[in-house]
Amino acid sequence: MALDATAPRRAGKRRSPRREISAGAFAALMYLPTLVCLALVLAYPVLYAGYLSLHRVGLGQLRRGEFPFVGLENYARLIEDRLFWLALKNTFLFTGVTVGAEVVLGVAIALLINQTGIWTSRVTRLLILLPYAVPPIANGLIWSFIYSFQFGFLNRMLFSLGLIDAPINWSGNPHGALYAVTVPYIWRTLPFAILLVHAALQGIPRELHEAAAVDGATAWRRFWHITLPLLRPIIAIILILRTSFAFAVFEEILAITQGGPGDATWVAAWYSYKTAFAPPNNFGVGSASAYVLALLIGLLAIVYVRFVYRRVTL
Amino acid sequence: MFKQSPIARTLLHLANLLGIAFLLLPLFAVAIGSIQSERSLQADTRAVFPREVTLDNFLVILSKGEQKGRIFEQVTYLPENIKQFYRALLNSTIIAISVTALTLCFGSMAAYGIARHPTRWTVWLLQANVVARFVPAIALMIPLYVVMRSLGQLNTLTGVIVAETGFLLPYAILILAPYFDSIPRELEEAARIDGCTRLGALVRIVLPLSTPGIAACGVIMFIISWHELLIPLILNARPEFMTLPVVIASLVGDVHVFFNMMMAICLLALLPTVILVVLLQRYVVEGLSAGAVKG
Repeated sequence: MALDATAPRRAGKRRSPRREISAGAFAALMYLPTLVCLALVLAYPVLYAGYLSLHRVGLGQLRRGEFPFVGLENYARLIEDRLFWLALKNTFLFTGVTVGAEVVLGVAIALLINQTGIWTSRVTRLLILLPYAVPPIANGLIWSFIYSFQFGFLNRMLFSLGLIDAPINWSGNPHGALYAVTVPYIWRTLPFAILLVHAALQGIPRELHEAAAVDGATAWRRFWHITLPLLRPIIAIILILRTSFAFAVFEEILAITQGGPGDATWVAAWYSYKTAFAPPNNFGVGSASAYVLALLIGLLAIVYVRFVYRRVTL
Repeated sequence: MFKQSPIARTLLHLANLLGIAFLLLPLFAVAIGSIQSERSLQADTRAVFPREVTLDNFLVILSKGEQKGRIFEQVTYLPENIKQFYRALLNSTIIAISVTALTLCFGSMAAYGIARHPTRWTVWLLQANVVARFVPAIALMIPLYVVMRSLGQLNTLTGVIVAETGFLLPYAILILAPYFDSIPRELEEAARIDGCTRLGALVRIVLPLSTPGIAACGVIMFIISWHELLIPLILNARPEFMTLPVVIASLVGDVHVFFNMMMAICLLALLPTVILVVLLQRYVVEGLSAGAVKG
C-alpha cells in the first residue's frame, strides 16, 4: 500500500517503438503545475511574510510601495504586547480543551457507533458526518444564536425544561467565554476524529477480544489492554492534526465573540487578523505574529511527517 | 458475540440519544430560528417553539429584498449584502467548482507522478505536501493580500480561485496518491505495450479505475472551498465579489439584522454541502481517512 521509494524503476527502462520522454521527465512534467501553484501560493507568501515581518508595512507604505527595513522591531513589539501573550495563552488553552475533548469523545463515540447490535447506534452512525458539512462561519453564527443572553436557544431549552430561572450569559462573561467557544469548534470537528477511530476499530481482529473474553477479561479491561493500545497510532494522528488546526481557529471566534468580552477570547489567528486588517493596519506586526503561529504549527508538521504519517494503515 | 445485559443496552441507547441530541442541536436551532419573526423571538424569550411559523425570512432573501412579506413590512433598511444573495451564491458556486476542477486536475497529475515514479525527489515532494497541508491560512493571508493588491487582483474571482487552489492542492495530492498506488501496474504496462503513451495510460486506464478516489477527493475539495472564509474575506471586500461565507461574516455585529434573518441565510448556505455529504457520505469517509494516514 505505501509508496516505496526503493521500488525498481522499470517503466524508465522500457523500450518503446516510438520516441517518448523518459519516466523521470514525465513525472517532472506531471508535477510542474502543482509545483508552480505551491511556489506561487504557499512558498512565496511564506517567505514574503518573513520579509514583511522585518519591515514597516502600513497602509501608507502599501500605497507608496516602499517598505522601510526595521530589523526585529516588529517582533520586539510583539514581545512587549500583553495582548499577544494573552492571545497565545488563550490559543494553548483553547487547543488543549478542544483536542482533549475530541480524542476522548472521538474514541467514545466511535466505540458507540461500532455497536452494530444497537439500533440507535446505527442512527448515530448515519448522522455522524453532518457537522462536517456545515460551513464554519455558519456554525459560529448558529452558536451565537444558541448562546445569546436574551434570545438564545440554549436558555430557551433550559427554561422549557425548568432547569434555570434566570437567563445565563454563556459567551458574554469573561471567565466562561473561551470555554463556550470550544463547544461549537468541537461540534464541527468531531466527525473527523470519530471517523478515523471508527476506521481503525474495523482493523482490530475480533479474535483478540474473544480470546480475552474467554480468559475472563471484563469489557473495560479489554478496552484498556487491547483496544486502546491498538488505537495509539491513530490517536497520535488525531492529536497532531487537530492540534495544528485548532491553533489557527478563526471562524468561530469571529462569529461568536469577536475576541470579546473585553479581550477574553483573543486567539493567535484573531490577533494577526486584527493587527493587519483592522485600523491602524500594521501588516508588519501582523506578519510577525502569523509567523510565530506558523512556526509553532510547523514544528508539529515535522513531528507528523517524521514519526506518524504512513506508519499507520487502516 | 458479546451478549450485553439489558442494563448495558439501555445505557448504550441513552448514550446514543444524548449523542444524537448534541449532533442535531445546532441544526435544530438554525431551523427553528429561521422560521419565525423578529417579533416572536423577542416576545417570548423562554419558549423553544414559535407561536407562529413564517417563511418570510427566506422570501426576503430569495427575492433580493423586494418582497418583504408580512414580518418585514415596517423594515426600511436591509443590508446590501443580503440583497446580493444570488450574486454571492453564484460566486461561491463558480469558485467551488473551479477550485475542485483545478485541484483534481493538477492534483491527479502530481499524485500519479508520485505514485508511479517513486524516486527520492517524489517522496520528498510528498513530504513537502504533508508539511504544506499544515500551513495555516492566516499566515498566508497578509503576504497574499499585499501581493494581490500590488498585482491589482483584489476583488476578482480569479485571485480567490488561484489562492484556494494552491492552498488545497497538497491535501488533494495526499488523498489521490494512495488511490493511484492501489491500481495494479500490470494494466498500464499492458496498455503501454499496445502502444499507449504515458499520458494515455493515465487518462485511459488509471483515471477510469480511480473514479471512487476522484469522487472522494472532489467532494472534499468542493466542501472545503465552499466553506472557505479567510481567503475571500480578505481578498474580496466588494459586495459583488463576496462569497456566501463572507456575506454571513458581514452580518456579524450588524445591529440591523436579527437572529431570524441570520439563521435563514445560514440555513441556505449550509444546505448545498449538507445535501452533498448526505448523498456522497461513503466518498467523504474514504477521502478523509485516506488524506490523513495513507500515502
